[in-house]
This record gives sequence, C-alpha cells and structure tokens, in this order.
Amino acid sequence: MVTAYQPRIIGFLCNWCSYAGADLAGTSRISYPGNIRIIRVPCSARVDPLFIVKAFQYGADGVLVAGCHPGDCHYSEGNYHTRRRLALLHSFLDFTGIEKERLRLEWVSASEGKRWSQVVTDFTAQVAALGPRAK
Amino acid sequence: MSQPIRDKARELLQTKKVECVIGWERATDGVTARPLFVYDIKDVDRLIFDQTCVHNLSRYLRDRKDKTTAIVAKPCDARGINMLLNEQQLDRQKLFIIGVVCQGVNERCWGQADARQQERCQWCRQHVPPVYDFLVGEKPASEPSAPSYPDIAEFEKKSPEERRAFWEEQYQACIRCNACRHSCPGCYCQECFAENLDPTWVGIRIAPAESQIWNLVRAFHLSGRCVDCGACEQACPVNIPLMLLNRKLQKDGIDFFGFEPGLSAETAPPFATFKKDEKLEGGE
Amino acid sequence: MLFLTGKSLTAWISQLTMDRTVIAPVKGANDLVFFQPVTGSEAIFIKSQNAALSPKDWFFPRSEAIMSFVTKNGKTQIIPAVMEKDAVIFGIRPCDARAISLLDKPFLAEPADALYQERRNRTTLVGIACVTVCQECFCTSMGSGPADPKSLDILLTPADGGFAVQVVTDKGKRLLEKAITQDKELVLPNPPEVKTVPSSGVTEAMRKAFNNIYWDRVADRCIHCNICSFVCPCCYCFDVRDYKEKDKIQRVRSWESCESALFTRAAGGHNPRPSKGARMRQRFAHKLLYFPDIFGDLKCTGCGRCVKNCPVNIDIREIISDVQKLARE
Repeated sequence: MVTAYQPRIIGFLCNWCSYAGADLAGTSRISYPGNIRIIRVPCSARVDPLFIVKAFQYGADGVLVAGCHPGDCHYSEGNYHTRRRLALLHSFLDFTGIEKERLRLEWVSASEGKRWSQVVTDFTAQVAALGPRAK
Repeated sequence: MSQPIRDKARELLQTKKVECVIGWERATDGVTARPLFVYDIKDVDRLIFDQTCVHNLSRYLRDRKDKTTAIVAKPCDARGINMLLNEQQLDRQKLFIIGVVCQGVNERCWGQADARQQERCQWCRQHVPPVYDFLVGEKPASEPSAPSYPDIAEFEKKSPEERRAFWEEQYQACIRCNACRHSCPGCYCQECFAENLDPTWVGIRIAPAESQIWNLVRAFHLSGRCVDCGACEQACPVNIPLMLLNRKLQKDGIDFFGFEPGLSAETAPPFATFKKDEKLEGGE
Repeated sequence: MLFLTGKSLTAWISQLTMDRTVIAPVKGANDLVFFQPVTGSEAIFIKSQNAALSPKDWFFPRSEAIMSFVTKNGKTQIIPAVMEKDAVIFGIRPCDARAISLLDKPFLAEPADALYQERRNRTTLVGIACVTVCQECFCTSMGSGPADPKSLDILLTPADGGFAVQVVTDKGKRLLEKAITQDKELVLPNPPEVKTVPSSGVTEAMRKAFNNIYWDRVADRCIHCNICSFVCPCCYCFDVRDYKEKDKIQRVRSWESCESALFTRAAGGHNPRPSKGARMRQRFAHKLLYFPDIFGDLKCTGCGRCVKNCPVNIDIREIISDVQKLARE
C-alpha cells in the first residue's frame, strides 16, 4: 500500500494570540491536519531566522510562523518587526532553493479558531504539493 | 593616487594627529596588495593605492577603538565606517578618513597581474566615499542613480532545484575557515552565533548541513548592514560566491525598505524600525 | 626504467577502485581542484598545480565522528569509527607527502591515534612529480623537492605520453602488481628550479626573536581566520565535542586553528594567548621552533598554500627571512 506523502511542518506560534487561537480550534473540536508540530513562543518576534533555518535543516518540509494581527501585538510592536524580518527571510530562502511556498507568516488572533484550522489545512496542502525537500 | 595619500599620512603622523595610518602596500607577489599599518614616518612611502587594494580596512578599526587612527578608505570601506558609526562601534573623533575616489578594484588573484575587475564594481553607484576628512582623486561628473543587480536577476532565473543544487555544492566546498566573518567590518560580535554552545546552532562539525546554516545565517545577520565591499568573497579560499547571498539581501533591503547600508551614520537600519501600515510580501 | 602508458594507468586505477577507495585530484566547485574519491580515472585532473586543499583531509579529516555512543536497555555501547576499505591516494605531490610523514610524528607517537594509524597503514601514496613550479612554492628549502620520492610509496614522473615509475617502498611494490608496466629507455628532464628561502638555522633565529615586537606588527593585519591552518598540509590543531543525534551521541573531531581568538580561551574566560601578536607568534613558533625541538624537523613543506590563500599576505617566506635578520641584530 502506498501512503501519500505527509509533509512535516513546524509551527512557531505566539503565546498570546495564535497559540490561543489554535487552542480554541482544539476546544471547539475543529479538526485540521496533524502534520504540524507547534512550538510556543512569547511573541512572533521571538522567532529568530536561525530557528527557521534549523527547522529546515532538521527535516521540516514547511515552517509556519503565526502571530497577533499588526496593531494587536501583546508587546505592542513585536509583530511589526516579525513582518519585516520574515519578508526578507522568505525572499532570501527562496533564493537559496527553499521555495517560497514552504515558509508562511500568518496573523491569527485568539478568537480565530476556525481560521487557524483553515490556515493549517491550506498550508499543509500547499507544502504537500511541493513534495519532500531534497536532502 | 599613492603620493597624496603618503603626503597626508606623513603630515598626520608628524603633527601627531593620529598614532597610526592604515592603508595598503604591495604584497610579496609584487602584484596584489596587503594592508599596512604605518606608525612611523619612515614607512609612509610604502603606502599605495590602486585597483589591487581590495580589502575593507574598516574592519581593523574595531581593534583600535580608543586610539587615534587614520584610514585610507574606498567608498565601500567608508560605507563600512558609516555602518559602524551608526551602530555605536566607533568614535568619530578618533578617526581621520582619507577618502579615495575609486574606479573599481580587481579580483584578488595571488600572483596574477591581469586579474579582472570585480563584478560588483561594474554596478557601483558610489565612486566617492560618503564620509571622509580628506579626499584623494577627482570626483566624477555624475553617478548612476538606479540600483543595479543584474547578477541577482540572472540567478533568479534558475529553478528552485537548480538553486538548491548550486548552493549545496558551495556548502560542500565550505571549510568553515571563517575568513568571510573575519574580513567583514560588520562581523564584530564578541561571540558569534556559530560559537554558541547552548544551543549549538552550528557546532564544530565541518559538513554541508552546518555550512548551510553558517553561510545563510551570517548573510542574514548582515542584512541591512552589508555595505557590498566584497571582502568576504575575496578572502574565501574556495571561491564561494558569497556576494550573491549578500547582494540579494541588499536588493531586497532597497526594494522592501528603501534602505541602503552605509550611506549615512544616522539613518536607522531597517530592522530597528518599522512602518505600521506597510504591506510586505512575506508569505502573509 | 619502469613505464606506465596512459592507457595502463587508466586500467590500473579502474582495477584499484574495485576493492579500494581511490582518492585523486578532481575539478570541483568553483573550478578548484580537490582531492576526492573517484570511481575511475576520467575525473582525475593533474595538469594543474597543486590541489587547493591538501590530502591531509584523508588521514586527518576536516570533521569526523571518532566514535559513537549508543545506550540500549541501560547498557552503553561504544561504537568506534570504521575504515571500510584500503585506500590509495593518487596524484599526491612530494610536498604533501612529506607533510603526511611530518603528521606521523605527533599522530603515531605513543599512544598512537588509532584512527590515523589504521588509515596510514592501509593507504598507499602514489605521487606525481611536479614539472612546473608555482610562484609560492619553496619545497627544496623545507626538506622536499619537486621530484622527491621520500614519504611516497610510488613516484610517477610525467614523461613521453605516460609516466616513469619509481617504486619507493614494499607497499608501493605490492600495489604496482595490479598494473601493467613496461621497460622503457627514458631520459627524465631535470626537476624544475624552485625558489629558496633561508630556512637553515631558522629554529635558533626564532628562539632569539621570540620576544620581539615584530610579532605584534605582523599581527596587525592578521584577521585571525583559520585559512592558513586549514590549507596547510601539516597543521593539525583540532577540537573535540560530543553531539546528540537522534539515537546516539557522536564524538566529533574537527579542524581548528591556533590563530583564532577563542582557540586557547578556557572555561571561566581566561585566555593565555589573548593578544593578536601572541597568536601570530604561536603559529610560526610551532612550525619553526617547537616542532623541530621536539621532532627534529621544521613543520613546513613549502607547498605555498598559506602564502597563496592568506587574505592579507602573511607570508611564511617573508617571516623566515625577517626572523633570520632579527636574530642577527
């Protein structure tokens, strides 16, 4: 029996908004693909590009970074920095052969349980379509 | 070009305005150049400036923070000084910058008299240093204004798999000598992320996976700071095209944030600021 | 004289690749020549001057897992590194071969480095004489020469569309049994002339010049990267650390350099060689003073790689000259 390729996805979720949103998806019993492994960080700005590059090195097929909507950051300004940093990293990794579709930045608030499951379902399908990363 | 530099150096040392003049002299192959530290007037005539002077001498200033120093600076080197001033790494009062108008420098090929010009010099838009105390050379009538990154555009024509394979070959060649880091004015961290033990981001293993982290993250740590001097690529013993990585980040820095490192010692670099309503193509 | 045609050389190498690892110079990334394993003779490239990195990488790899530890059911097993096949290094130059015999001195001294020893015993060195000389070579001042057979098992000299073969050791003789050689009347050209460096007496000169401010002055321009130590065929500083993999712990040994600022920094922050000058002096003292004091030979073979690759032109030939001058003052 041939099993379909299951991508391995790492998610960095900010504690205050997106992690709470993911929690809400769980308590609301909304299902979404289990390919994603979630790492909780205090703020999306805590996500050092090193984390993302290391995740890819360790075998991640996709990385999802989620934070509060701009303007709603629990620490006021963190996500503005995240936005700049990830924009640059996204373009840079693509330049080095890690396709644009493998890294995504999303804003998910604590009340957006449904949206969270949508995002993960979407992203998982997007990464799966690319196939596994060449090792 | 060399004589006015020597004369100025002599004057600065004679009047004790500076303790040391950092410039270049001819290397032992009789063809390339090497950095020279002049403490004594008798050595002033060893100073030269020509298209073989490829190093970014501003990387030496970090070892002389509290000492008066004169430095011969090409435009890219002077951008390095501005970047360091911006980051509070240097005391402007202790520096005397002998700026040189530069027409481009060559690849550093040991023993080769006919080395070709560095590719990045073709697209240079700044032949006059952005900061100097004394200028050597004639200012050009005009400078190209639009940023030019045809090397990046060319590389981006490759497919993702071609790019991955290209860089994989480079990661295999990398021996982690760190010459890129040590020749760079922007790499002044007392302890580099690569030396960190807890967590071990890179470690001591010299292998392609680690070299990937090393090269990508070092380039990224220089985003918004790399002044396009090419010293890293010239230092690399296995000819890794490091400037491709750095220039990609430079181009994106201009496209996304309208920022070019080293033009001023005052403008806040892109990662230190933000615009609340900006729309960036970051996958979001 | 024993002679190998190009064809019989190709056949010999194909034979050898069947049951051995054959390492030879090949064109690699960025048009540089590196010593790498080959599966046949097509990739071998010996027309250029010496390879960018020396074949010390085979005996003393840039990075290797010297052993692994696995814990199962509460018991810990030590898994040593294993050398699978015998090996041949083909196309090694006399300077690099001499460098390996210099590396033998610390690595095979009691207690011998087991990994190094095994590789050394099971590897045969088939050298190629140099017919041209680089600007930076100075092998004849360092106990070697462009056609020096010492430290090799077989020396091949390019001649007449093939190679003259000189069997140096029994190991080489055994390896050559797999080749088809002929007897040919050959007049080999004289080896090319190599520039010299005043190396005679440099150890005593180093001793005298040890405390001179000269070292600080040279170190001014040194950027303390690792290039010189890494490209040098006889440098052997290393670091050892344990890394956790998924199911085991690997003890990794990798190249290091005495030039790097953190090399001698100890836990707690104390660094016995904190200054640039101290580190600069260390490199040359090791090569020209300590190593000869302990082992009787200068730790340099005149390959010139450090001279060619140093980004700021710290030139050992110049240092040797300068040190001799300083000692006379």
